[in-house]
Amino acid sequence: MNDMSPEEKKTSKLGKWSRRGFIGAGVLAGGGLLIGIGVRPGNPIGALGPKVAAGAGEQLVNSWVKIDTDNIVTAIVPHCEMGQGAHSVLAQMLADELDAAWDNVRVMQAPADGSYVVSDTARMFAAPFTLNAADWLEPTWDGLFTKLGQSMDLLITGGSSSIRTTGQHQMRIAGAAARQMLVGAAADAWGVPAAEIATRDSMLVHEASGNSAPYSEFASAAAEQSMDHTPTLKTRDQYRLMGRSKARTDIPAKINGTAEFGIDAVPDGLELSYAAVVRPPVPGTSVISMDASRAEGMSGVLQILNMGNFVAVVADSYWQAQQAINTVGIEWSQSESPVKTMDDQFAVFSSALDAAGDTGGDQAAARGDAPGALANAATSIDAEYRAPYLAHAPMEPLNCTAHVADGKCDIWTSTQVPLMARSEVASTVGIGADDITIHHPYLGGAFGRRLGSEYVAMAARVAQATGYPIKMIWSREEDTQKALYRCADMSRMRAGLDESGALIAYDSVFTQRHDPAEACVPAMYDIANTSVRVAEAELHLPFQAWRSVDHSQQGFFIESFIDEAAAAAGADPLEYRLSMLTNAPRHTAVLEKVAEISNWREPSAEGTAKGVAIVESFGTIVAEVIEVDMTSGKPKMTNCWAVCDAGYVMNPDGFRNQIEGGIVFGLTAAMYGELELEDGAIVQSNFHDYRMLRMNEVPNIEVALINSGDVPVGGAGEPGLPPAAPALANAIFAASGTRLRELPIAKQFV
Amino acid sequence: MRNRAILTAALLTVLVTACGSSEQPEVVEQIVVRDRGEAAPAVEADAGATDLIAMGEDAFQMCTGCHVVESGARSTAGPNLFGVVGRTIGGLEGYSYSDALAGSELTWDEANLDQFLTDPAGYLPGTDMLAGAVRDDEERAAIIAYLANQSSSTGE
Repeated sequence: MNDMSPEEKKTSKLGKWSRRGFIGAGVLAGGGLLIGIGVRPGNPIGALGPKVAAGAGEQLVNSWVKIDTDNIVTAIVPHCEMGQGAHSVLAQMLADELDAAWDNVRVMQAPADGSYVVSDTARMFAAPFTLNAADWLEPTWDGLFTKLGQSMDLLITGGSSSIRTTGQHQMRIAGAAARQMLVGAAADAWGVPAAEIATRDSMLVHEASGNSAPYSEFASAAAEQSMDHTPTLKTRDQYRLMGRSKARTDIPAKINGTAEFGIDAVPDGLELSYAAVVRPPVPGTSVISMDASRAEGMSGVLQILNMGNFVAVVADSYWQAQQAINTVGIEWSQSESPVKTMDDQFAVFSSALDAAGDTGGDQAAARGDAPGALANAATSIDAEYRAPYLAHAPMEPLNCTAHVADGKCDIWTSTQVPLMARSEVASTVGIGADDITIHHPYLGGAFGRRLGSEYVAMAARVAQATGYPIKMIWSREEDTQKALYRCADMSRMRAGLDESGALIAYDSVFTQRHDPAEACVPAMYDIANTSVRVAEAELHLPFQAWRSVDHSQQGFFIESFIDEAAAAAGADPLEYRLSMLTNAPRHTAVLEKVAEISNWREPSAEGTAKGVAIVESFGTIVAEVIEVDMTSGKPKMTNCWAVCDAGYVMNPDGFRNQIEGGIVFGLTAAMYGELELEDGAIVQSNFHDYRMLRMNEVPNIEVALINSGDVPVGGAGEPGLPPAAPALANAIFAASGTRLRELPIAKQFV
Repeated sequence: MRNRAILTAALLTVLVTACGSSEQPEVVEQIVVRDRGEAAPAVEADAGATDLIAMGEDAFQMCTGCHVVESGARSTAGPNLFGVVGRTIGGLEGYSYSDALAGSELTWDEANLDQFLTDPAGYLPGTDMLAGAVRDDEERAAIIAYLANQSSSTGE
């Protein structure tokens, strides 16, 4: 039991594959992929060519780069763009290694093709290169994942992973390999040694002979060069684009309105009809009967369909479809779930925790002897924490355009998982994956919601039934009330302190563990006796990963409870944390820095107080200090200081944007986020009762970055979120003495 | 070494849940009102449409994106309008009104509903009802007649 590493997650009873399984599968399934797909004639690139380089004069150098006759370099990126800026930064990384002229770099979304699975193929392809791949892949390398094949559809955007996996291990290598091939082709043509050829701004230059040429001149010849499997990557002092705040390539189109999102799909040559849908108000129920008599007479209505587990109305316009479906009377089956209210849900959690008691449940991590140390502690504290269900509520409503005809299916939708969506459509409409094409433009927000594909399958079913193309749009109410959710949870925490107040024992037990496996473990702190346990309990609402996943509730539980321990010890919460980080120099540096920029050690202004929290998630350490003003009796957030160590930040402006977005998303949830249940159905329906933080409520946010050096690069999209709620709750405790053990906060100060 | 395993596990994270190829039920019922391209049937003169209240019920369909009119039903984006005529403006218990309506002490009647529906934000600046003005005089009158009829006093 001296092992603090999370135990292996096996395929759960839900049939869910473990996170590690996916990664491993990618490595193995893709092992030969990049090599095979390379540039030799007759390889899969022949089939890929028309998909990504259809234009005359375009040459695919390898599967991630194409160069056209105007010397425009296009990075083909396998991740979706949902506002996080990954497209642009991935192109930046590729272009830097390629020595491309940034102004002439374009970005293209990779097609939903198995050849573009997001994996660390380059780890095999380029080993042994020096981007820290080996030291984290090795523990998962052998055996564990051999059972998983290429069918796992790994074209995924999530886990704050684009830059640190695809960017580091694919885009850079693709760029460097392409550069070497261009150089090789020029060296052959000019009869000079390759080592004498310099590259800069998409040009090849041989000074001694006076030869120079744009990349485009050698793009075809480069494709005949053998590919170096271990291209030399740049060192930091050689970066020209990485580490710089280059402007995002997707922003102009989003400002001038020309950017196309999934909902904008207007496929050439297709006449669209529109579908509105109504899903069951309580999960797992189905249509018993439907009365469409009124809708049948309404203008524009084409069809009314009882699809078994939902009802659809198809009409000439979306408005007509939605108006008509509002009049359809639907009787739903009774739910067998015992959960009718949130009190019921928390009672389910509570009984699971009762059953686990002080030592039961599945041991997620353990070190030392927590039960023994708790029994002998000089002081002990315990607390029960709660987190509510949350909706993703992306701005772009869920939607999908589908056309099923002649044994083929075309889908246009906003998705984080195009290949999984394709598989889901295949099994739903009975058409082979090869006959299904997924077109996936920009996403108008996702936050994890679009990792699920049930809406894609719904649209495909309706299109199959009608026989003509339809665009299905969910109303905001459908998306808020009948979707997939961040889970609610309850955590019981206990801590033991010695005579000096030092934390010597820690125990937590909770019911929900999804991803990442280590989110529930306060591993950075030196606590000699630690026990982390899971007592699984049923969720009434279906789960879907929500920005930062388990960290979103565990960050609140753990960092609030550590604050309680500091208070029990009579210690300053920041100094108390520092005293437990003696083996964590990066965490210490982050916490010291946030203390400095927030003037933590100076007295707070009258009526205000500060709270701190620190969470490492997705490879990035983030500490936040939030200052609240409680003079009105209600929390008013005045300032937020965040310090992040992601190892190395590829685009500081983009990174800050993501951290700020994560903070605002986290504070929105902390202040207002809550879904309540009435008779098993969700009460909240739209933005008027599922509130967002407004501009005048957002604190001033200052983000400082630390590039700590030779460690793997961390993520950006999620790590800003987990410390936000506990930092705020801890600030409110500091200001008012009120300890908040459940969220949301605003309603506790009415 | 073991401790490092924790740290490194964080790097592997990809947010994924089940691949979800759940069994889908068959289409249970498919009502084809008309085929595409086929002209919409001429709107039949509804026998009840001469009645202002019935006309109002039809016209009210444009409001159902945000409002329900059903005794005791939960409000959707806008407040439940059952019994709105005779109700204090901003007075439905449990509905989160804009400050503009919540602060009012007036009572809805046919006359001020007519002004409000003609131009909601003009009549009550600050209202959250940003859409839904009913410009057509006849439609507006019919909707108000319908709403006036929908209250507990009518035995609905």
